[in-house]
Amino acid sequence: MARSDALQGSLPMLILKILARRGAMHGYAITTQIETFSSEVLRVEEGSLYPALHRLEESRLVKARWAVTTKNRRARVYEITAAGRRHLEAEEKRWRKVTLAVGQLLQRI
Amino acid sequence: MSRWSRFVNVLRPGRLQDELDDEQRFHIEARADELEAEGLSRADALARASRQFGNRLILRETSRDVKLLPWLESIWRDLRLGARMLRKDAGVSAAAAISLALAIGACVAAFSLIDALILRELPVRDPARLVYLSRASNNRDLRFSALYSYPLLNWMRQHVSPHMEVFSMSHQSLRQAILPDAGGVEEKLLTQFVSGNAFDVLGVMPAIGRMLQPSDDVTPGAHQVAVVSHAFWARRLGADPNVLGAWIQVEQRPYQIVGVAEPGFSGAQPGVLTDVWLPNMMFNRESLEAPNWNWLQVWGRLASGETLQTVQAIAQTAFANFEDDESVGKDGARAAGSRLELRSAASGYSQVRQEFQRPLLTLAAIVGLVLLIACSNVANLLLARGAARTREMALRASIGAGRGRLLQQVLIESAVLTLTATALALVISRTAVPFIVRMLTTNENPVYLDTRIDWRVLGFVSLVGCFTTVLFGIVPALRASAAGPGEVVALGDRGHTAKAGVARSLVAAQVAFSLMILFVAALLMRSFDRLMAVDLGFRPEHVTLLTVETRDRLEPEKGREMVRQLLDRMESLPAVESASLSGWALFRGYSNGNNVALPDGRRAQTFRLDVSPQFFRTMRIAVLDGREFEATDSNATNPMPVIVNDMFVRTYFHGERAVGQRLTTTRGGQAFAYQIVGVVAGAHDGSVRGEMNPFLFTPISDPAGTIQIRSPVDPKTLADRVRQELPRIHPSLRLVDVTLQTSLVGNTLLRERLLAVLSGFFAALGLVLAAVGLYGVLSYAVIRRTREIGIRLALGAQAGAVVRAVAGRVVLAVMVGGVLGLAGGLYFARFVETLLFEIQAVSLLSIALPLFSLLIVAAVATWAPLRRAIRVDPAEALRNE
Repeated sequence: MARSDALQGSLPMLILKILARRGAMHGYAITTQIETFSSEVLRVEEGSLYPALHRLEESRLVKARWAVTTKNRRARVYEITAAGRRHLEAEEKRWRKVTLAVGQLLQRI
Repeated sequence: MSRWSRFVNVLRPGRLQDELDDEQRFHIEARADELEAEGLSRADALARASRQFGNRLILRETSRDVKLLPWLESIWRDLRLGARMLRKDAGVSAAAAISLALAIGACVAAFSLIDALILRELPVRDPARLVYLSRASNNRDLRFSALYSYPLLNWMRQHVSPHMEVFSMSHQSLRQAILPDAGGVEEKLLTQFVSGNAFDVLGVMPAIGRMLQPSDDVTPGAHQVAVVSHAFWARRLGADPNVLGAWIQVEQRPYQIVGVAEPGFSGAQPGVLTDVWLPNMMFNRESLEAPNWNWLQVWGRLASGETLQTVQAIAQTAFANFEDDESVGKDGARAAGSRLELRSAASGYSQVRQEFQRPLLTLAAIVGLVLLIACSNVANLLLARGAARTREMALRASIGAGRGRLLQQVLIESAVLTLTATALALVISRTAVPFIVRMLTTNENPVYLDTRIDWRVLGFVSLVGCFTTVLFGIVPALRASAAGPGEVVALGDRGHTAKAGVARSLVAAQVAFSLMILFVAALLMRSFDRLMAVDLGFRPEHVTLLTVETRDRLEPEKGREMVRQLLDRMESLPAVESASLSGWALFRGYSNGNNVALPDGRRAQTFRLDVSPQFFRTMRIAVLDGREFEATDSNATNPMPVIVNDMFVRTYFHGERAVGQRLTTTRGGQAFAYQIVGVVAGAHDGSVRGEMNPFLFTPISDPAGTIQIRSPVDPKTLADRVRQELPRIHPSLRLVDVTLQTSLVGNTLLRERLLAVLSGFFAALGLVLAAVGLYGVLSYAVIRRTREIGIRLALGAQAGAVVRAVAGRVVLAVMVGGVLGLAGGLYFARFVETLLFEIQAVSLLSIALPLFSLLIVAAVATWAPLRRAIRVDPAEALRNE
């Protein structure tokens, strides 16, 4: 959690975005989704997804339940909540503003 | 996650762990499946998947921290850590816990007693509207100031009635009784006479049967009905509902039990547990007509809309009219200068409370101070320990523990200490309370206080516990949590100076508090000492008192003959020096007033007691002039031979010779003469503190009274012998009570003894605690400055200079504490001044004595650390660095 580079910091937002777009899925599926967009976010440890997920769960932005997969394995399935969607929207807005501001700043210097 | 499941997680961390594991395992297996599909072996796939996943343990811990309510877990961790820290310094921790436990235990004990005696409201309907009549009197002996006569009760009923419902309850006393199934065996029950409307006005309901009612209180001697208390019913009558209708005998008179009072109500007099209630009409028939026979408390319930003040004005007028009303037939013995007051009776009225309220509050203040001393002590201990842990705290701060987190850790450590101490304190108070109640109890006045542990006591305990924890924990906690990461590297004397300053203030506080206690305790103990040394005018040692009763009314001639026989028998018993009989024993608490006319016609007030020949010899009261009574003296002759005491002569004869003089009185409406045949020295009666009163002694004609036997033989043996002798004199004579004259005197000093013993104990405790605190602070200072001392000594410093350097500021703190303590003690002393006997609160001795004891203790406490300081070996001290 001490790591705070930009992409790592955007992880919770990415998770919410994926869950919002693709519906309920388990941690591993989220991992593969993230990998298809970017190999950078989870570069160091795939497992770092989980504390992030649990933090979202604690904040009630996602909810989780145990489900059985097609291969008859027990998997924990996550789903975005209404609060999660609102939070995502706000975060996306903020993020866009920040990147815009940073971009303008960089151009001016 | 719901709050509940968080709790479950904290309490069952294993389950959460399993779930986190399962989730991780699923991820790794799913990844391995994919890698396997790409052509890796299962084992390689698993290994690689695992590698990609990262450090499972750390990730799991992170998730766990996220999931558990963090503070809840940290509290549990701190609790365990605290317990471990306390165990590490087991000796010191035990000392801290015990001193805290003693102090808290004492506070809890004081609270239970005060709650039971003073605070708790009566378990009756709307207790706030109850009042009792009290007499504010010039008479210093307050014992009987709230007792009134039956005619007064009636008068009040008639004159205050619409404003207040008036009822009465008598002074409770132990009376001989025989229970329904006892087969004639007598025992003593606490009985109380009440007016017929008492229970109705109080609002006390029966558990079974009925309570007494107005129709039970109409004709003198005609209502043989009784109500028993629930506690008595359960304890002595086996809670048997069939007891209704059974007969109970009280003082040879049968009463039918008509009801059992509701549980919880055991009388309106906290401190005394009534067994049986009887109607007023069954009390001594003569008392119902006698306006000077004060035997009942007058109570009332204010009518709605009335205030205490308005009703008091009405009652005062009625009382004044009663006192002036000649038709009431008083023979002039009204209490001079007395004024009626109404007092709230919401928590009942009790002589026990009258007597012990101020002593108990004084003790409460003292134990409160002891608690403060104990708190400062423990605070010092934690400070010293905190100093030793600066490195640990700094380390924790540097790895990111917030100040709040460190504060929490130290406070929880304190709470663990308090919890241990509080548990111990409850045990201590459970032992102490009955012990104190026993100290208040005498044979004649058994004191009962409902002091079981209830929510009030538990509430108080938790309050004291929290207060204590914050009090002794907050300073060390703030200091410890202030540790910045920087202190890991720089760990010199920096930062210690502030801590030493706090420690010194705590020493000053301890000294001040313990000096306050010492000051007051010294006053109380010296006062008690004075009381014990008072010359009573007689010698109570080796006098056994045996109270004898008769069933029959005896003819005076027959009675006198029996007294003669009785005394002959007693004197012939082996090892009996002398024996006598009197109406009642000195210091029994009874008194009888008599109004006589002096030879010049002036009226004289005097106390009166019937005594037999040998009374003054047995009691060792000196005969100053004339003679003692002789067997031939009788109260039937006119003039009757009487003896007066020195006080009487001094008050009324002004140095004139009294022997041979005649006094006159009225008896049965007829003039009657007393011939003074002797003058005896004055003696105290009823109170060691009070003045000696004028006394008139008349010849006794009734064997029912108290036998005094002066003999070295133990009371039990004497009682057995007397019990054998009695039937030989007359079959109806029986022994009802055996006691020692010394216990009767001692009983009047219970309050003073209680205060002296307990305040002495707490003063000693406070002193020891303060000494331990002083010792601790100095020892710590010496250890901390060993290197500095070593250097000073190496440079040739004298021992005196070293002592000054080490102890200088601590001595200053002690002095500041001493001054504050003296000021506090002087202030506190004003509160106990009324309890003191012939002791000046502000005097050289009362200041010097506690100061001197404190100095000695301080010297002892500082001796060892200072000796260690001047014996520091410079080489050794420097090598350690």
